[in-house]
Amino acid sequence: MSVLIEAREVAVDGPQGRLVEPVSLTLRPGVPLTIVGETGSGKSLLMQALMGTLPAGLQARGSARIDGEDFDLSAPGNMRRLWGRTIAVLPQEPWLALDPLMRAREQVAEVHHLVSLETAGGAHADADLETVGLARAAARLPGELSGGMAQRLAFSAARAGGATIQFADEPTKGLDTAMRDGIADLLIGRLGAEGGLLTVTHDLDLARRIGGELMVMLKGRIVEQGPASRLLAAPSHDYTRRLVAAQPSNWARRQGSQGSEAAVISARGLSVVRGGVRLFDGVDLDLRPGAITGILGRSGCGKTSLGNALLGLVPLSGGHVSRDPSILSHRFQKLWQDPPSAFARTQTIGRELNALARLHRVDRQRMDRLLKRLRLSPELLKRPPGQVSGGELQRIALMRALMVDPVFLFADEPTSRLDLITQQEVIDMLGEVVREEKLALLIVSHDGDLLERFCDDVVKLDHRDGTARQSN
Amino acid sequence: MSSLARILGFRLAQAGVVGVIVGIATFVMMRALPGDLAFRIAAGRYGYDNTTAEAAAQVRDELGLDQGPLLAFLDWIGDIARFDLGRSLVSGETVWSEITHQLGASLQLAGAAVLLAMLIGLPVGIWCGLRAGSTADRLLILISSAARAMPQFLLGLVLIVIFAVQLRLLPAAGHGDVKHLVLPALTLALGLAAALARITREATHGVAQSSYYEFARWKGLSDRQVFFRHGLRNITPPVLTYLGLQFVLLAEGVVVVETIFGWPGIGHALIHAIFHRDVPMVQGTALVMGLGFVLINTLVDLAITRIDPRGDGRSSNRAGIEHG
Amino acid sequence: MVDLTAIAPAKTVRRPAPWAFIVLAAVVVLALLAPLIDQLGPYRQVLSKALSGPDMIAPLGYDHLGRSMLARMAYAVRLSLALAMASTVTAAFIGIALGMLASWRGGWTDTLLRLVSDSMLALPALLLVLIAGVIVQSTAVSFWIGLAAVQWIEFFRLSRSMMRSLIQSPAVEAARLLGFGPVHIFCHHLWPEMRPLLLTAAAFGVANAIMVIAALGFVSVGMRAPTPEMGLMMVELLPYWREAPWALAQPVLACFAILLALNSIAGAKT
Repeated sequence: MSVLIEAREVAVDGPQGRLVEPVSLTLRPGVPLTIVGETGSGKSLLMQALMGTLPAGLQARGSARIDGEDFDLSAPGNMRRLWGRTIAVLPQEPWLALDPLMRAREQVAEVHHLVSLETAGGAHADADLETVGLARAAARLPGELSGGMAQRLAFSAARAGGATIQFADEPTKGLDTAMRDGIADLLIGRLGAEGGLLTVTHDLDLARRIGGELMVMLKGRIVEQGPASRLLAAPSHDYTRRLVAAQPSNWARRQGSQGSEAAVISARGLSVVRGGVRLFDGVDLDLRPGAITGILGRSGCGKTSLGNALLGLVPLSGGHVSRDPSILSHRFQKLWQDPPSAFARTQTIGRELNALARLHRVDRQRMDRLLKRLRLSPELLKRPPGQVSGGELQRIALMRALMVDPVFLFADEPTSRLDLITQQEVIDMLGEVVREEKLALLIVSHDGDLLERFCDDVVKLDHRDGTARQSN
Repeated sequence: MSSLARILGFRLAQAGVVGVIVGIATFVMMRALPGDLAFRIAAGRYGYDNTTAEAAAQVRDELGLDQGPLLAFLDWIGDIARFDLGRSLVSGETVWSEITHQLGASLQLAGAAVLLAMLIGLPVGIWCGLRAGSTADRLLILISSAARAMPQFLLGLVLIVIFAVQLRLLPAAGHGDVKHLVLPALTLALGLAAALARITREATHGVAQSSYYEFARWKGLSDRQVFFRHGLRNITPPVLTYLGLQFVLLAEGVVVVETIFGWPGIGHALIHAIFHRDVPMVQGTALVMGLGFVLINTLVDLAITRIDPRGDGRSSNRAGIEHG
Repeated sequence: MVDLTAIAPAKTVRRPAPWAFIVLAAVVVLALLAPLIDQLGPYRQVLSKALSGPDMIAPLGYDHLGRSMLARMAYAVRLSLALAMASTVTAAFIGIALGMLASWRGGWTDTLLRLVSDSMLALPALLLVLIAGVIVQSTAVSFWIGLAAVQWIEFFRLSRSMMRSLIQSPAVEAARLLGFGPVHIFCHHLWPEMRPLLLTAAAFGVANAIMVIAALGFVSVGMRAPTPEMGLMMVELLPYWREAPWALAQPVLACFAILLALNSIAGAKT
């Protein structure tokens, strides 16, 4: 058989109209196919249509020949027998997809028993876990696994039914960039010459690493397709070009400023313990006006706590933080990872900003200037935060911080929930503001490429030995 | 095992505080009654018939009642701590023997009601939870909302009028035969069944909507396998927690239903004791109800830690259940 | 991915049905306005008219002692609603204040308050009302104290758990960093989030209180005759249910209608 999936004119309709325009695609053995797109581009819906798992209210169109059998995608009732046996699905955020009350080994073994009908299912499960390096975690519950381990467990459980075609839906979502290569290796490792791999992702680095064929999706349409290596090196469609350029590894290095002015905030021998675990110890920092300092580390390493400790939001267990005593405390500000959660949910943004303006006597003209500077439409202020996009909301949060004339800004993963192009816009804006306002910026991220190109100075936090290393 | 120690420690402290609260309430009640305090306490110890002026004087002396209310209160609490509940002011029997006598009848009634409620509520709740939005599901939501608005005494009234007075199928009051049990148990069970069905429906619906339920199907398991291997296990803890908390409502229901149907249990005894200002009996029944709650919920906690070994499972389940 | 919350059938956030408000309003208006047209009052007996049907003077008929059912129903509904609301408001006030204290101070204050509230949870409301009834001579006051002593727990637990997560939220962290004081944070961040759930709890609380009052009246340890109270009226009229089903139906239907209305108003908001 030369083709695993041959899909013709696959489309998805919602109650308000078409969400995915007709797409035809072919999945060949040994050649991975990756669909790249931003949030809302319809890439996951396309994959769900091919599996027959669209949510209620959505309707698939078109047909597909899967593993030599024809299916009408608009009537997906009989596609269920493909699950686990022909198509293995690695779900989004696998730590939520594992039964929280079942131990790791059993989650794999039950598939060997009940789907593959093997009598020695337990032994097979042990072998599977061994392969992905989880042998010692066999008796653990999903809550006791790290994100990467949960990913590998879900992978083993999904494949235990003997499927040859692998689907992966946003496999890097919610994971540190450092884990990306491991996931790509996991996915292509089992591909061989016979298997199939269809991946949906927003992550261009993952797509590059997986290789094979690439499709770029924008607003429900495929705008460009071709071999991954060629497409990512020389994109022809304008959108693909912007997408590739927005990748942090392709950014130009920011013109650094070697600030020689006195630090607005300094830390000596900083140490924080939370829940009985020492997050870091002996961290020294000097944050000067106009300078950008990055903190790099994996999730859970305490990088957010470090920034919070500087702002006095987290108690110190050692060392001290010194600020210029002549500067009022509200001029030390913060940007949050999840912009909607940083605003009062029940009132309009304008009302919140007006209250702030009254509190600190910010005049109308300054607010208008800031709106214009951050390229924000005044219309946005009439809405509650839930009705504003993440990128705009993060810029509004920046505006809110700028209203109180800050000297220091702690940005806690400010773009990790944003799409690539929006991320670049927000980061560029942040860089301009730092230069113009001469404020000291501390930015935390798990994306080394981003920090390396954006910051004057990067501190690496390593959870295991609890120390910080300054580089650059 | 630290979670075990934590559960037992918490429940032990809870039992202690329940004892103190009941002690305070009954002590104030004792003091608020008109008449001679020492005489009443003596009567509480030895029964009214055996109480003489000398006995009262002895009590006054022994307890140092003249020393003020604080010491008297500490003594009162001390009696509770030693499980020395005294004697009924009405019958003269010890409170313990009265209560052990009545508790059997109450447990029979409550047990039958809970069993009935589970037999109705659990399957209906699971059935509707797996078919959220269906006609059966909407009917369940409607019925359970109406049942919540139906006080037990009204339900009992309706059942008596229909089955005892009109149809003459079952007796309206009495004790001893199975036919006497039917109406009170049904009265108690119907409201409980409706609430249990609703909570089971919410828990089942939540689990059926979860990513892990979906992933289990993607792994290739059949609906049946997914439900029995991943559904039941995750539905049980919140439902058990709910059942444990329902003990208070059950106790309240027992009081009302026993009084209406003349069922000789501790609820009936409590109303009698209140009526006759029999403080030791009120205290005894209050302690049995409060400590019964603690005991049932300890067992629920222990059962849940077996099903859900995560340390934080209990607290999150509890928080989620309050307004189901 | 497309934002599925906008597409998929939204999780049923039911609005309170208008009938629930209409029923509740009708009963309340009746209870408040009835004394204006009533000439007999709830205690005056016209023995010759015992159990007879409606006439011009008593539009809802007479009870077994020849008292106007309209006047008695109006007083009974007012009594139950007033008591239930008084105890719920008291309980809400105490519960929310303690909930704020516990989540604000944390530590031992929190542990102690939780232990006490969890322990009081073990005691049935009926029991506390009955004990309060022995201690306090006035039955109405005993209901008020006894019911509030049980109801504060729900408000405490709700406000405590909500406040704890809200106080740690980025929005409140932001408000603090920006220099806003506790009053602003409470009015703009905490209260708007807590209000719907607390109102739901209040509606359930009023319904439960009405149920307890009626239940105790029905088993003759609540309000005492001749006070008009729905549970008491039911048990008084029960022996005459063949002669005057209409009279018995009045307290039964009024009680059920109020409870159903309150429950559906509360249930719609959860």
